[in-house]
Amino acid sequence: MEEASTSASGKTAAHGRQRAFPPARSGVFYRFTQQNLPAWKPAMTPGCVITIFLVIGVTFVPVGLVCLHASNHVAEIVHRYDIDCVPNAYKRNKQAYIKNSSISKNCTQEVKVKYHMRAPIYVYYELDNFYQNHRRYVKSRSDKQLRYGQKHTDSSCGPIERNDGLPVVPCGLIAWSLFNDTYGFTRGSTEVKVNRKNISWKSDQESKFGKDVYPFNFQNGSLIGGGRLDPDLPLSEQEDLIVWMRTAALPQFRKLYGVIEEDLHVDETIIMHIENNYNTYSFGGKKSLILTTSSWLGGKNDFLGYAYLGTGSLSLFLTILFALIHVKNPRPHNDSNYLSWNRLNSNS
Amino acid sequence: MASERPLLDASPDAPSPLPPASSLLPPPQREPPLRAERLAFSVDIPDPFIPSSHRDHQPDPSASQREPQEGDESRAVFVGESSGAFVGNSIRTAKYSVLTFLPRNLFEQFRRLSYVYFLAITVLNQLPQVAVFGRGASVLPLAFVLFVTAVKDAYEDFRRHRSDRQENNRLAAVLAPGTAREFSPKKWKHIRVGDVVRVASSETLPADMVLLATSDSTGVAHVQTLNLDGETNLKTRYAKQETQLRFSQDGSIGGVLHCERPNRNIYGFQANLEIDGKRVSLGPSNIVLRGCELKNTTWAIGVVVYTGKETKVMLNSSGAPSKRSRLETQLNRETVILSIMLIGMCTTASVLAGIWLLNHRGDLEFTQFFREKDYTTGKNYNYYGMGMQIFITFLMAVIVYQVIIPISLYISMELVRLGQAYFMGADKDLYDESSRSKFQCRALNINEDLGQVKYVFSDKTGTLTENKMEFQCASIRGVDYSSGKDTDGYSVVVDDLIWTPKMEVRTDPQLLKLLRGGGTDEERMLFLEFFLALAACNTIVPLVLDTRDPKQKLIDYQGESPDEQALVYAAASYGIVLVERTSGYVVIDVLGERRRFDILGLHEFDSDRKRMSVIVGCPDKTVKLYVKGADSSLFGITKKSLELDIVRATEAHLHTYSSLGLRTLVVGMRELSRPEFEEWQLAYENASTAVLGRGNLLRSVAANIESSVHILGATGIEDKLQDGVPEAIESLRQADIKVWILTGDKQETAISIGYSCKLLTNDMTQIVINNNSKESCRKSLEEALATTKKLRITSSIGMLSPELASESAGITLALIIDGNSLVYILETELQEELFKVARECSVVLCCRVAPLQKAGIVALIKNRTDDMTLAIGDGANDVSMIQMADVGVGISGQEGRQAVMASDFSMGQFRFLLPLLLVHGHWNYQRMSYMILYNFYKNATFVLVLFWYVLYTAFTLTTAITEWSSLLYTVLYTSLPTIVVGILDKDLSKATLLAYPKLYGSGQRDEKYNVNLFILNMLEALWQSLVVFYMPYFAYRQSTIDMSSLGDLWALAPVIVVNMQLATDIFRWNWIIHAFVWGTIAATTICLFVIDSIWILPGYGAIFHIMGTGLFWLLLLIIAVAAMVPHFVIKAFAEYFTPSDIQIAREMEKVDDVNQGKRSEIL
Repeated sequence: MEEASTSASGKTAAHGRQRAFPPARSGVFYRFTQQNLPAWKPAMTPGCVITIFLVIGVTFVPVGLVCLHASNHVAEIVHRYDIDCVPNAYKRNKQAYIKNSSISKNCTQEVKVKYHMRAPIYVYYELDNFYQNHRRYVKSRSDKQLRYGQKHTDSSCGPIERNDGLPVVPCGLIAWSLFNDTYGFTRGSTEVKVNRKNISWKSDQESKFGKDVYPFNFQNGSLIGGGRLDPDLPLSEQEDLIVWMRTAALPQFRKLYGVIEEDLHVDETIIMHIENNYNTYSFGGKKSLILTTSSWLGGKNDFLGYAYLGTGSLSLFLTILFALIHVKNPRPHNDSNYLSWNRLNSNS
Repeated sequence: MASERPLLDASPDAPSPLPPASSLLPPPQREPPLRAERLAFSVDIPDPFIPSSHRDHQPDPSASQREPQEGDESRAVFVGESSGAFVGNSIRTAKYSVLTFLPRNLFEQFRRLSYVYFLAITVLNQLPQVAVFGRGASVLPLAFVLFVTAVKDAYEDFRRHRSDRQENNRLAAVLAPGTAREFSPKKWKHIRVGDVVRVASSETLPADMVLLATSDSTGVAHVQTLNLDGETNLKTRYAKQETQLRFSQDGSIGGVLHCERPNRNIYGFQANLEIDGKRVSLGPSNIVLRGCELKNTTWAIGVVVYTGKETKVMLNSSGAPSKRSRLETQLNRETVILSIMLIGMCTTASVLAGIWLLNHRGDLEFTQFFREKDYTTGKNYNYYGMGMQIFITFLMAVIVYQVIIPISLYISMELVRLGQAYFMGADKDLYDESSRSKFQCRALNINEDLGQVKYVFSDKTGTLTENKMEFQCASIRGVDYSSGKDTDGYSVVVDDLIWTPKMEVRTDPQLLKLLRGGGTDEERMLFLEFFLALAACNTIVPLVLDTRDPKQKLIDYQGESPDEQALVYAAASYGIVLVERTSGYVVIDVLGERRRFDILGLHEFDSDRKRMSVIVGCPDKTVKLYVKGADSSLFGITKKSLELDIVRATEAHLHTYSSLGLRTLVVGMRELSRPEFEEWQLAYENASTAVLGRGNLLRSVAANIESSVHILGATGIEDKLQDGVPEAIESLRQADIKVWILTGDKQETAISIGYSCKLLTNDMTQIVINNNSKESCRKSLEEALATTKKLRITSSIGMLSPELASESAGITLALIIDGNSLVYILETELQEELFKVARECSVVLCCRVAPLQKAGIVALIKNRTDDMTLAIGDGANDVSMIQMADVGVGISGQEGRQAVMASDFSMGQFRFLLPLLLVHGHWNYQRMSYMILYNFYKNATFVLVLFWYVLYTAFTLTTAITEWSSLLYTVLYTSLPTIVVGILDKDLSKATLLAYPKLYGSGQRDEKYNVNLFILNMLEALWQSLVVFYMPYFAYRQSTIDMSSLGDLWALAPVIVVNMQLATDIFRWNWIIHAFVWGTIAATTICLFVIDSIWILPGYGAIFHIMGTGLFWLLLLIIAVAAMVPHFVIKAFAEYFTPSDIQIAREMEKVDDVNQGKRSEIL
């Protein structure tokens, strides 16, 4: 009547038939079947709890201090330019300014170096309120096309898939919206050189963007989203595009523009020559230019240091609290009288 | 079972059929049994007090109660003519064929509502507008789950197919049409109704057949019904004299057989056979069923009446009704809460998305990252207007957040239960050495219920006791003979061979002396009558077994009732040896003198009469009625006025016996005069050939003849307690489990058993309800209620004044109620009162209850409380109770296997309840509760991380985590450790759990799974998701971080955090758990590596980049620590200030370990 029993009982029964029960009463397998394998039984004894919190506190506070130290040693110049670069006449209608190609978009801004900045100094542009992680946007790309060329254009690129019946390379909203402000720097009269090579990931250059795929039919539509590409350079060498296409995780993000390979000194005035092409005015975005040195931890960010400090000090506080409780109000361990039913009896 | 006792062959021209074989001795030669030892200790019959009719009804009352009604079609079978009108004999237990597998299996699987939910989500995801995940990826989890289940089902079905094929292609010897005695092999699947089949010894019967003839000249055949109901004893079946004679004369067969339509009742069959112009009635003793094996009979010939799926075995193979565990039911409540959370999150996301769109509605066309228009077509691209956009966002949110209802939970639970079942089966403490029976998990979905039981309903006979009956006392004509001494045993000489009964019974020397001629003839006659009644008034079949010594033979009494066996062995020890039984007569060796008694009629045991009787034609041409049965039933039909003193003395003895815990029977006799006999015979023949209502007719015939009986005496049979029963009951009671005993025995016996198994103690106040009318029942219940109230008041006073507390706490109540009263109470308004009384009592004993009443009592508690009930029993009479209770446990003992077949768990001994409930139940409950909560928690953590991110993507349901990772999270990244922990972790050792039964209370109080714990888990999930999301968010704000890199961090961090959470909650780390917990984190990392090595995915190379930075590692560390701090602190404080008993016991355990210097287990 096998069908009358459930599948499992059938299995266990089958098991029983094959093997004489009980199995040899020794050995690891027997201990396993009796659920009696040697085991580590951690218990939260007060000592254990205090030790754990103490260790966390003692390690995290220094780590936090080191992080803060690293962050403090990063010199950073942040300069928002999207409003300043609009001529006063257009302040009220920035859209008209940016869309009008006859107006020169050149713009010069000055910043003062407050700390000594040791090379390499990274040049970033920062966009705010730009949702590179918008669903429509993220999806609108074709990795196949980027690597193998226009034959692999597919519908995932919409709405920038084809133009006049011809495929667009690189297709998709991301490429179409390529950031195209440019920057140059002078201090005094000398130009500060910006190295624009090797700003993108090696892995992207080598495997994601084709070495024999050239831009085609790009930015030929009725609405121009952003920068144009040199049609004679293969995609693998279009580093700005490669950087741009690593879509940012958050709506406020930075992208590497280049690296200044000389020191900037305190109180120097740096003149930034900005070509303000990119339209962020349509959606209220912000644009900034950032010059920053870096530490082993990356750019300037105090958060991690404070997080470590906070967690560390909380742990130390808990250590003390727990120690106090334990000393003031010790609870019996290993006392069978403490079991609830025994306690009940002894109370009454 | 009782119904297969032989009916008298009642053809009109043969009122007392003589056996065709002329010589009475030696008895017909039988095949020497091949494996006699195995048969020897297989004696199964339930308590004789339990009405057989009820017993039969248990598996399915509706089907088996059905007696053929007027107008019910009956089936006509032409013997020897194959009929194609009925279903063929091929069977099919497999559910699927190659073609139907996919649709049917999917259909079966999708009966689970949650799968429909997941399917709906997957389908939703296929709509291009809503597609969140790639098509392939979104199908993956559901496909995975369905695939695993389907593979499991397919494998099981494959095995069924194979066994079906083997079964269908077996060969049977079928009579070639139109010939006599020419049997040719035919495959089972080609056998049709009407075929005549010849079966040899040890062959299995291919279909349900009516016996026509057997190798035994009297038409007896023995079958073993092991495959049918698991009973290993031999059952006797008879071919009718008419067909037997016809066949043995010229090998011819023929006739038309009318039988009932196929039904499920294994123990019932009604038909008649028209042969040679006569109508012969057929009953259950004439049919042999498919799946049985022919034993001890060289051959048998039968006509097939039911085939294939219409055979009784197939009709009975539907399996036990499926039960759902308490946790699984409770889990639905949490699923609803989670669904509300899901809807809340989706609504929030879609409303916010709507607001965002509203605020930016003017910019959408020119915003680089949106650009709603496709200028090549001039139409909107994937933009459907505000309202639609909000709706689509909602649907997409449902898809993204679907995992908050864990898809892997259901399959995890099944796997965990499978593992738990394995370990329960492997536990040496649940293995019965004596019967070599392992613990079996028959139902796979209620393991964790074992940890929450509050009521245990136990059968007595065979469950608390061993059901190995031993004859202890006899009271004959008012004199007690109960000083049994061991004797040499008695044997008879047959054909120069010495036949010895297999079992020896201690005999009373005085009685022995009196029997052997110590007293007057008249006295001696009465003693002889007493033992003759014991030897003849039963259905025992003596089997003669070979021994090593060719001169010695053993007589093994095979029968369905252990009581009857005990009585026959007792009679044999006193020298009245049953030597042979056929359908028409018995041969009894009476103190060395062989006598033949014709069995003229037999009235089966039934629940109304509570007695059975035989009409015996004695060698001296007198006709006697021997009757045995319950005292109440027999004293009602005696001529009290004539033998008042004997009745009184016997009653006194019976009282003594039953207070010793013995099972008592009263034996009576009546001599029938010729007219009385003839009158009876006429009625009996009429009744037994009736096709309709035969049972009732026979009962009334029996009731008529069973009157004016002389009391011969009474017997006391001991039913030994099983090992460890008192200790087990004591522990169960300490664990706050109420133990109720439901027995068919008399009140006195029940009470004495209650004392001997420590259920009742002397300091208990007994409330006895033992009434014969509804009014008196009402009164007793009211009084009982008043008593309990009074006690409660004193105890509540006691609570106030401590000095009284100990006194009143000591008073416990025991309710003893009998079946008669229950008739008036159950299913009436008095039920409520009974419930109130019973709840106040710590012990309840129900005696003389019928099987359905047992179920009624279980239902009484089950329907009125939330308390988990467990029923444990071993007999067919316990089936209804086992099926009614939340958890049914079957004892694979003496009374056959119906209980086991109906049970959820089966084991060898009652005392195994202790390790089963206190240890495994506790573990299972603890593990399963934790696993469910953990699954909710871990998925919520992940979903909340996804949700926080959506707030920074203009509410567009982008996931930074790759779709593969978010789908693999539940099925791969986090599911394995919880399964392993759910199978292997133990909060306390077995020894501790057994030493402190009160620890069991955690399950009864739902301590490990409740709404509070769920909310706590959800709050932890909330906190941890905030930490996991916002730590990187703040650390990477205003940086060059790309979506894929951050996504990888956001995928890895929750996996680490939830595994850390699991790690802090694991009680015992053995190497398997270590391997799975840490291995999972490693496997997740490897998966991330693999996913980020696929160049076609946008995240190509991301994990390698981010892992190259120090920030990543520092972040992981602080996320892990900061996320765990609250959990750790809550745990530490809770364990310090309000330690649970389990916690305290664990600390004690740990100190013990240290003391014992078990190095390997030291922290």
